[in-house]
Amino acid sequence: MLEQLNTAPLEVRDLRVSYGPTRAVDGVSLEVRAGEIFGLLGPNGAGKTTTLSAIEGLLEPDSGSVTIGGIDRRASPRAAKARIGVQLQSTGFQSALTIAQITRLYAALYGVAMSRQGSRDVLRSVGLEHEASKRFGQLSGGQQKRLSLVIATIHDPPLVLLDEPTAGLDPQARRQLWNRIEKMRESGRSVLLTTHSMEEAQAVCDRVAIIDHGKIVTVDTPAGLIEKHKDDPRVTSIAHGQVTLDDVFIGLTGEDVRD
Amino acid sequence: MTEASAQAAGPRPAGASCALPALGPTLAALLEVDFSVQLRNYRSLMLSMLLPVVVLVAFFANKRAAALADPTIRVSLVIMLGMATIAIFGYALNVATDREAGVFQRLRVTPTPAWSIMMSRLVVQVAVILLMAIVVLIVARIFQNVTLDPLAYGLTLAVVIAGSAVFLGIGQALVGLVGSADTLNAVSRLVYIPLFGLGVLGRTDILGSTVEDIARWSPGGIVITLLAGAMEPATWGSDAWWSLLACVGYTALFVFLGIRWFQWGTH
Repeated sequence: MLEQLNTAPLEVRDLRVSYGPTRAVDGVSLEVRAGEIFGLLGPNGAGKTTTLSAIEGLLEPDSGSVTIGGIDRRASPRAAKARIGVQLQSTGFQSALTIAQITRLYAALYGVAMSRQGSRDVLRSVGLEHEASKRFGQLSGGQQKRLSLVIATIHDPPLVLLDEPTAGLDPQARRQLWNRIEKMRESGRSVLLTTHSMEEAQAVCDRVAIIDHGKIVTVDTPAGLIEKHKDDPRVTSIAHGQVTLDDVFIGLTGEDVRD
Repeated sequence: MTEASAQAAGPRPAGASCALPALGPTLAALLEVDFSVQLRNYRSLMLSMLLPVVVLVAFFANKRAAALADPTIRVSLVIMLGMATIAIFGYALNVATDREAGVFQRLRVTPTPAWSIMMSRLVVQVAVILLMAIVVLIVARIFQNVTLDPLAYGLTLAVVIAGSAVFLGIGQALVGLVGSADTLNAVSRLVYIPLFGLGVLGRTDILGSTVEDIARWSPGGIVITLLAGAMEPATWGSDAWWSLLACVGYTALFVFLGIRWFQWGTH
């Protein structure tokens, strides 16, 4: 029991993933602590989603290790998956199913017994009780993200992985989702999220890692990153006045637009 | 508030576990939604039944077609056509479409074993093929007076399951080897016609005995041999046994191809 309490919800060591000859993730190591919201920041193609996919088990890494709550993901993939909740960047559900059916299906897949009333209660908790009989494709972007989030946490996992959770949302929906993510931390869960948004990183993340070309460039709290890099010539050369997290990010990853 | 909603909105309940879900309820949940999706797509389900029935009626109404083969062979041809249609245009295309929509990636991040996701879909398709075969046998009995004894009906349905494995294996190989749903749509049409055509040619020497022999041992040809043998158990001979062996061989080959190169996502 004590050993479990001392185990980090997520430990990634020297992770390497390739697509053919292209190395997408090149020696990434990171640790997400209990009750922490950890942000993975990076430009397009930096390796954020690939890192997350390797943690989730959607990709097999070339080398390195992923340990989820003390469980080696490669040795015990199903046990590791049972300990994580996942919101993918673009979520796909069978188009013919209602969201009440989707909720019950995913509850069953995680071993959570859920009645029809139970699924209505879950949907009510994210303000979707009136949409229970709609198909996923009939929901707005914000509603889809809320449903994806509630499904990611339906089995009460200690670790939640969110891939660009607020991408494409309006400011109101984004703020609402940030509140939900913060509630996860308050309830003792750990969160690893990827984002492009410095505002998001500063608003919700306890610590942030900047990743570029498949490597972690730096890790610290948002304020710590600014403090650490405020005198870096790459950062000061692009800052307009006081150095911001945006300046640190662009200074460390370059100004070139990535596809 | 239920436990589940508390999990979604509030603090983690003490003692909440991350135990592995039992396989039985997982499979039951997958089957429930896959059957539900199949029933919602009732138009496609109806068409799966309608096409073989129309061809059956045409086969019996047309004198040339009637002269082509015995009634049991004609019914076998029609069932084989239905199998190929459901396996290729039903199963393979649905899997490709869901793959592009990211449905499988979402399922794969759960602790559900990957094989159970596919198994559930295959079971549903076998059920649809069985239903189609039953409809064809009923129509053949009522309108064409093709009556089998109870043993033959039982054997025929068992052979339908074995034949489904061959055609669903072909569907799996297609969706495994062809990445995009659009390309698969085109490739399926190219594969479907020769698949059915070879089955037909296995019952006529119109193109010579060599073509007939080759066609008879094609996937469609062996399924027709098996079905015809099952409908008249007294005629079940070495040809049928060899066809059964070929059926196992084809299934193993196509399933291997379909699993070995299957991509769960479209990255």
